[in-house]
Amino acid sequence: MRSRYLITRILQAVLVVAITYLLTYWVLFALPGDPVANRLDNPQNPIPPGQAKAIIEYYNLDQPALLQFLITVGRLAQGDLGYSLGTGRAVSDMVMQGLGSTLLLALAALVVAAVIATGVGLLAVFAPWGPVRSLARLVPSLSLATPSFLIGLLLLQIFSYQLGWVSSLDTESLTSLVLPALTLGIAASPSITQVLIQGLTEANGRPFVRVLRSRGLSHGAIATRHVVRNGSIPALTLLALTIADLIAGSVIVESVFHRAGLGYVTEQAVRSQDGPIVLAVVLLVSSLYSLINLATDLLYPVIDPRISITESRLGASSPSSRSTRPAQPTLTEGA
Amino acid sequence: MNDDFRPAAQDAASQRLEEALAHASSEDGRIRRRRMIGGGIAAVAVVGAASAWGLASRGGADATASGSSTAGATTGGPVSGGTLIYLDAEASRSTQPQGAGTWQDSAYLENIADRLIWKDPATGELQPYIAESWEISSDGLTYTFTIREGVTYSDGTSLDVASVARNLQWQADGDDAKGIQPSTQWPQLEGISTAGSTVTVTLLEPCAEFLDVLSGWAAVLVADATIEAPLESQQQITGIIGSGPFVVESEKYGEKIVFVRRPGYDWAPPSLAHQGEARLERLEVHAVTDDTARLGTLRSGQADLIRYLQPADELQLAEDPAFQVLSAQGIGATNHWQLRVSIPALQDVRVRQALQVGIDRASLVSDLYTENWAVALSVVTEDTFGFVDLSSQLTHDPAKAAALLDAAGYADLDSEGYRSRDGERLSLVTVIDVYDSTAKPLYQLVQAQLKEIGVELTLRDADYSQVSEAYAAPDVATVRSGWPYPATWATLRTQWAADGTDAFSLDGADPTLDELLAAQAVATDPAERSALLAELQQHAIENAYVLPLLKDSQIFAAQSDVQGFSWSAEARPLFYATWLDRP
Repeated sequence: MRSRYLITRILQAVLVVAITYLLTYWVLFALPGDPVANRLDNPQNPIPPGQAKAIIEYYNLDQPALLQFLITVGRLAQGDLGYSLGTGRAVSDMVMQGLGSTLLLALAALVVAAVIATGVGLLAVFAPWGPVRSLARLVPSLSLATPSFLIGLLLLQIFSYQLGWVSSLDTESLTSLVLPALTLGIAASPSITQVLIQGLTEANGRPFVRVLRSRGLSHGAIATRHVVRNGSIPALTLLALTIADLIAGSVIVESVFHRAGLGYVTEQAVRSQDGPIVLAVVLLVSSLYSLINLATDLLYPVIDPRISITESRLGASSPSSRSTRPAQPTLTEGA
Repeated sequence: MNDDFRPAAQDAASQRLEEALAHASSEDGRIRRRRMIGGGIAAVAVVGAASAWGLASRGGADATASGSSTAGATTGGPVSGGTLIYLDAEASRSTQPQGAGTWQDSAYLENIADRLIWKDPATGELQPYIAESWEISSDGLTYTFTIREGVTYSDGTSLDVASVARNLQWQADGDDAKGIQPSTQWPQLEGISTAGSTVTVTLLEPCAEFLDVLSGWAAVLVADATIEAPLESQQQITGIIGSGPFVVESEKYGEKIVFVRRPGYDWAPPSLAHQGEARLERLEVHAVTDDTARLGTLRSGQADLIRYLQPADELQLAEDPAFQVLSAQGIGATNHWQLRVSIPALQDVRVRQALQVGIDRASLVSDLYTENWAVALSVVTEDTFGFVDLSSQLTHDPAKAAALLDAAGYADLDSEGYRSRDGERLSLVTVIDVYDSTAKPLYQLVQAQLKEIGVELTLRDADYSQVSEAYAAPDVATVRSGWPYPATWATLRTQWAADGTDAFSLDGADPTLDELLAAQAVATDPAERSALLAELQQHAIENAYVLPLLKDSQIFAAQSDVQGFSWSAEARPLFYATWLDRP
């Protein structure tokens, strides 16, 4: 039974990726403009129609849509993502360079976000003084309301331009990761903090807490051993999905810290409608989403034994309709 | 000569003093001014008094710069070595030479590859470079170049006559199979042959600007390996193997390019003061698109030089003795708006002429820019061959504009104050230039100025990716063009002519324009050509096909110890003679 469920879910994931790819291709094709047209009509160096013909033919842009699509998919089947129309770079190189840089940044930012969320969440629920609890509850909305480019520029201003602790041009060393990770982490922390505060508050009000207290357990022991474990399940789920938000948020942070990560590559590609790169990024991000979704679905029973995959659940319209999980994000968001 | 470019502005207090000094020694002031704008001596002679150029404030700025530059110098002569950190406002996109459309890519090319001909940025004069000398046949069809000996590409292969011939053929033809375009300025080619140390190019018809074409970034000479490489490799700076003073060591896409000096480089244009290897050992170019981050990095001392400053930052930095603001205006076309005659309202020449005098160019500069910017006096800059001063026809004259519009039938004013004819409002559409991040305020000011004469200008924002379609939309009345070009008139011909990209949407309706464009291109007698170009400029402005606005300025800021920074004739930065005056 489990294997049948697994196969269905994997097929669903593949279908989602395929449909996303197809839709993106169609949108790119339907929208006017591409880097080749920009090159031909560049006001600084316009190319007369006669000379432009050879260039258009080189990129197969004179072929019917279906044929162009088949050529692209044919190459994809051979693992060839093609070349950027605007910059001539191999799409696989650009995406790999971007992915490496962004994953590192996203992971570091995730740690930052988790630390902020835990610290603020604990303060907001368990701090012995009322004003501190209220203040801590303000933090998520405050960081949500502050644009990350502003935080980034502020951090640069203080730690790079004024104090000179880190180089603003270095993008390779580990220290160069600190400021962008802080910026992105602060930007990603509010939702996790909110959910954690909510979860902890809810768990703190549960009857078992009163039972524990009546048994004479200390405040700290209740909080750390019992409430946190019970109240953090939703926050953990959210944390996994935050990875996607981090990739999306990296666009702005990477621009402020001039890191050519996936966010930058995507932004440049979308700006100039560089089809092959956009398609590759969509393929990557939709696969990543589907994979994370699949993994969470399959891991639920492992984390919480009360959740199990039963025959009746299989028949349900969609396995993702469980209320414990946030709604599935739009697949094209990262692009 | 090239080492002598000076920072444009630095210290407001000393500026007034220097202005007074410059005034006292007007002869000296004129020389500086000429160097600064790259103006030709001939042009000075033609135009006469420098004040007629409308450049009085620029002159003051130049004088300032010369003063503070001397004050800033702490050691003796230029030193060799060191690393210069340069922050460009944009990342490299595509360096394929014939197709290098972005500003920064053409700039990088000029630092890593040589050309046959050198165009003196100060005078516009065409001088020997890789071509030691040349002869032009009396019919203007045959060019024989003598090629300098001992020149090699950075891959060790020889830049000999065979290589030159192959490069020229490639520039003229492109490479269809690889999707590589021909150089758009190249004339029709009959053939190329080599003999001994000479290369002979035979053209089908004379080409007045052929040597200019060969001096530009699209005419860089590259090794066989580059020509044979696929387009995708040529589009990356690491794929360009040149013979220039710098070699690309590495590139990280979107982040930085590292150039190192080419050991043994010894074939700079003989007219340059500096010869031999480049002074800088290393040049790091970082792409920092955020204006604030670029300026902050420079101010904190982590960078030596940045390109592009917001006008407000420019004024602030100019007052700080630790920095210098440098500006360059290249030789070529001025920034102008091309009007499309296909738009019904613009078919009447009087409406176009009303727009011409309805724009207040002087306040565009004074309200939005700094003293490093200047108004256009024609469709080309003063130092471009054939320039004539048509500023008298570009003077702001709202009364004249009103009379012209009345005569064209747009006499009624509607409720919002716009003119209309037969109940139809005089309304035009333009697309804000996506290639220039400062374009919006400029467009908005022009919009406000045109409202004063009762013309509605609708500004349309375009996505970078859709700019082609946005410009081509049938209701768009005017788009911006005009920058420094190596072969200015050949480029304008490609843009304007009916058989080019037909910028005015005339579809051959103005045979005079096409005849003038064709005639100037093949006129080999300078006097005859000057007369044709004067007529052409007069024709284009009188018919108001173009609305010249400003001269394109490139603004840089540097630490005060950056010396010997210079520009090519098209205002691209050249790092060959640059050095760092620091211990």
